[in-house]
Amino acid sequence: MEQPLLSVENLGKSFKDKQVVKDVSFGVKRGKITAILGPNGAGKSTTIRSVMGIMRPDKGMVQYQNYPKQGVPHQVVGYLPEERGLYKNVKIMDIILYFADLKDYPTKKARSRALEYLKKFGLEGKDKVKVEELSKGMAQKTQFIASIIHEPELLILDEPFSGLDPVSQDVFKQEIRELAKNGTAILLSSHQMNLIEELADDLLLIHNGKTVIQGSMEEVKEQYSNYKCVIIGDNAASIFTNVPSVQNVKQDGKKTVLYLERGIHIPTWLSHMPKEVIIQEMTIDRISLHEIFVGIATEQNLMQTVGEVHA
Amino acid sequence: MRNTWKVAKWEYKRNVKNKSFIISTFLTPVIILMFTFLPVLFSGSDDSGNEETMKVYIQDEVGVAPTVETLVNSQDSLAWDLEFTQEDQKSILSSIEENENQAFLSITEDSIESGVVEVYTSEEVTDSFFNQLQLLSQPIQAYQFEQLGLTDSQIQQVAAGVSFETLDATETSSENRVVEKSGLGESGHMVPGIVSLIVLFAIVLTGMMIFQSASQEKKEKVSEIVLSSLTPSDLMQGKIIGYFGVGLSQVFIWLGFGIPLAAWRIEDVAIVDNLLVPELLIMMLIAILGYLLFAALFVGFGSTVEDINSSSNFQGLLMMLPFLPLVFIQPILISPNGLAATIGSFIPFASPAVLILRMAMLEEWPWMEFGLAFVVLTLSVWGMIKLSGKIFEVGILLYGKNATPKEIWKWIKA
Repeated sequence: MEQPLLSVENLGKSFKDKQVVKDVSFGVKRGKITAILGPNGAGKSTTIRSVMGIMRPDKGMVQYQNYPKQGVPHQVVGYLPEERGLYKNVKIMDIILYFADLKDYPTKKARSRALEYLKKFGLEGKDKVKVEELSKGMAQKTQFIASIIHEPELLILDEPFSGLDPVSQDVFKQEIRELAKNGTAILLSSHQMNLIEELADDLLLIHNGKTVIQGSMEEVKEQYSNYKCVIIGDNAASIFTNVPSVQNVKQDGKKTVLYLERGIHIPTWLSHMPKEVIIQEMTIDRISLHEIFVGIATEQNLMQTVGEVHA
Repeated sequence: MRNTWKVAKWEYKRNVKNKSFIISTFLTPVIILMFTFLPVLFSGSDDSGNEETMKVYIQDEVGVAPTVETLVNSQDSLAWDLEFTQEDQKSILSSIEENENQAFLSITEDSIESGVVEVYTSEEVTDSFFNQLQLLSQPIQAYQFEQLGLTDSQIQQVAAGVSFETLDATETSSENRVVEKSGLGESGHMVPGIVSLIVLFAIVLTGMMIFQSASQEKKEKVSEIVLSSLTPSDLMQGKIIGYFGVGLSQVFIWLGFGIPLAAWRIEDVAIVDNLLVPELLIMMLIAILGYLLFAALFVGFGSTVEDINSSSNFQGLLMMLPFLPLVFIQPILISPNGLAATIGSFIPFASPAVLILRMAMLEEWPWMEFGLAFVVLTLSVWGMIKLSGKIFEVGILLYGKNATPKEIWKWIKA
């Protein structure tokens, strides 16, 4: 198997008494897109910041291929943080060149690359415009260019799509894919499951600082994308207790969702449906990444409520 | 270190190109000049009053006339029309009564003995006449001593004391001017001192810009991007050096205009010759230390503030620290080696200005004390940079709120 460019092992980080990241391990390979998913406060940004060395992890290892020290070599890593901004009263080109200079990238090369990317992102001729005159989307494009201007081997994007309109999202998606195709190892975090589903090669879903799901996109889908059956109709939940192969029943007014076990045969399963079930509408499809995500996020809510009752 | 220079270069370019820098660089001297010259323009009436000639009759019975005459003639500002007269006192007095700006002094053996000289004046006299009159006490007193049979050296000794008293007597008119004048005459360090104080003032002011810069870096959320390429201490040092350059550029522009202007206006003192003395180096070094102290303070605490408008009193108080030396100015002007001066030399935030001021005023420097104060200042700078480094490292990445003093204390201890 290919050696990952970046390997993170047993990463742990606490703030005060609260452990934000517990034993998270993953790898990012060249030419692959690895996605970190998780609800708010799951520890995504903390993990990324620990990898970047902006935070010092309490335990664990961050190892970059052929790099003798712990952590990542800054010159070959591009980083777009979640909390991002630009100096206001400077020209776009100046700030891009400054960030390139900080990475020891030759200015001349950086300039031509910057012009190329500005054109690609629809910002042609804006290189002398001041940052304060940019719209939020334009600023975000500029930040993105700044993070890849030095042709990084490893690109880390924390919530790259937040605040972008669908058109810009597509531009970013396209560019991220292309970078990966050219051999860049990419680690990104996002809330937007549909985008992750389209983009990511490898997945890491964390919750409360712990790894919940990990693997390649196909593995995860295989493992978790079970069927679910949604029935609209005035039914009591108790009717479904005798239906086989049902993992879980969720009811919300007239809507009942039956989560089915893996590997069942749908036509056979349908024949077990009780005769008295009222069906106004019925759909059967696979659980999306989105639902896995929501399932975990809401479980967290449940757990919190229980915790409060006990307390 | 390479990264530090990159940051410094960036901060320098970014600020020097800024419109507000250009405006403040060229406007500040204009404003200062305005404030210096406007009062002179407004007080024009006073000047014309001074320019009016005062007719002074002196009846000299003891023979001080030649001394008085040379003294009066040597004073350019003294617009006196001196006339020694042997005329009858009554006729002169009637003439005085009828005219304006006339006076009659009678210096007799009696007045020498009692030390009281009778002066008759017309109803109107020039504003500063009574002050100017004090000048005459010198030759008269000299004559007194001569009568007492003192030797020349004794006279000189006593005269020196008397001139000191005269200084006190004019205190009511304009104390500062008198002291400064005496300082200019006495200490050759005045010119480098003033220049160093201007440098200190200017670079500490740009030091205050660092507070904003650090705070803005946080507000605009650039720090995390920048910190993915370098360490917090690179960033902090780069800012300190960059703004130092900004301050220096500003002050060089000011001095570039100021020194030739001063050399042209103030003819009594050889500005350039007096400026380029070894002592200037020491004073400049102190000014730089002063800058580093404040720059470190501001960059550290600036990183704890996201919104300057809502910053607590705590951070607001820190912004007042550069003005601490103002407390010591008055006592130092009165007594450059006094207790207040000594105390001020050992309080880090006051000591740069206090030390330079004292060095400027004193001909003989208390080397031991200055040396100690210098060591204390240097140690404070070192400590402040360490301390601010710790605050900066955590503060710059803390988003969404201003840090409380309690939190900052925790970071320092960590």
